[in-house]
Amino acid sequence: MMNETCKVGMEQADAILEGYPHAEASLIQVLQDVHRAYNYLPCDVVAKVAETLGVPLSKVFSVATFYKAFSLNPQGDTIIRVCLGTACHIRGGGALVDEVQRLLHVAPDETTPDMKFTLKTVNCVGACAMAPVMIVGEKYRGNARAARVGGYLEQGGEDDAN
Amino acid sequence: MPTLTINGKKVQAREGAYVLEAARQAGAEIPTLCHFEGLEPWGGCRLCQVQITKNGWDGWKKMVVGCMFPVEEGLIVLTDTDEVRETRRVVLDLLLARCPETPLIQAMAKKYGIERTSYVPNPEPTDCILCSLCTRVCDHIEVSAISTADRGAGKEIAPPFHEPPEACIGCLACAEICPTDFIPFKTSHVSRSIWGKEFEMLRCQDCGRAHITKAQAEHHAAHRAETTGVSEEWFRYCDSCKRKRQAARFPGVPQLA
Repeated sequence: MMNETCKVGMEQADAILEGYPHAEASLIQVLQDVHRAYNYLPCDVVAKVAETLGVPLSKVFSVATFYKAFSLNPQGDTIIRVCLGTACHIRGGGALVDEVQRLLHVAPDETTPDMKFTLKTVNCVGACAMAPVMIVGEKYRGNARAARVGGYLEQGGEDDAN
Repeated sequence: MPTLTINGKKVQAREGAYVLEAARQAGAEIPTLCHFEGLEPWGGCRLCQVQITKNGWDGWKKMVVGCMFPVEEGLIVLTDTDEVRETRRVVLDLLLARCPETPLIQAMAKKYGIERTSYVPNPEPTDCILCSLCTRVCDHIEVSAISTADRGAGKEIAPPFHEPPEACIGCLACAEICPTDFIPFKTSHVSRSIWGKEFEMLRCQDCGRAHITKAQAEHHAAHRAETTGVSEEWFRYCDSCKRKRQAARFPGVPQLA
């Protein structure tokens, strides 16, 4: 528990905890806010959340490991999600994963050493009509091709809507 | 007291009881893995499934989990139909796929005619059936040192961050309750270790035997002394020495050596 991923400032966590009733029912919302603030769940903060909400640390750990939306390890600034749902799998989602791995030298659930990208595979993003789909940051790339993956990564993850 | 019919036999069940209790009372044999009398029912292992029906239901039957279905007046319970046996057989087949080398699961599966699982056996056999008895008993004694971690195929029982749990008091309740003896521990008159944490033992001041960890006695004093009326003093002697001391308080009764 006492590794370098734990050492973070507590100010943001304190501010988040202030905004919720100190009860078990607040747990997931607090964890979501913490995840947004730190881009992962630092273990010191997880311990602080457990203590403040009066929930056993083991229960908070259980929740934090249960949901795919939570990560206990620091993540890259941009998260690349490659869909491997049935439709994407058939239309070449696996090739997209291979290409990201080749370009960034990271396996699924790993982060580049410069902390820029984290690669994740997901089961379905509900956009099967544009399979295969990969999401770079906030940007959805439909009909993605392995040859274009380098371009997707260069163009970054800003959503068009923003 | 509600009256039920269990396998054709009329049974009076305790108010607030669940079908499992009533059915066992009536002599029905129902296998369970995650059930423990002292803990709240959980419905995790799905082995205690039985069929229920009622007179007005036109022969319609429903599969329910016995340990969590409350008894009701006029309920008709069937615990050994083909459907019930088939349901349990599938559960055991799946369990055997997860735990192909676990003697308890092998024996239970054999009773339902399964020698070898029909699924692909787990390439990394484990004895953990994820019945959660360990985490539930740990919660029950208000320690909550361990919990389930991850989910799906990777789900396991673990202390927070997979490190020696700060909250653990070394009581061994989790290892004791585990139906497959999966949780490893070491204990001697000097020390005890479980979940990677070391514990100092308290020795009986009469016979010198180690009988409880210091952490457990402290946990009791801090959280339970008020409700049980038992102070830390209580742990100075082991159970058998305490009985001897108690017996010595009855004058005129011949003492055992």
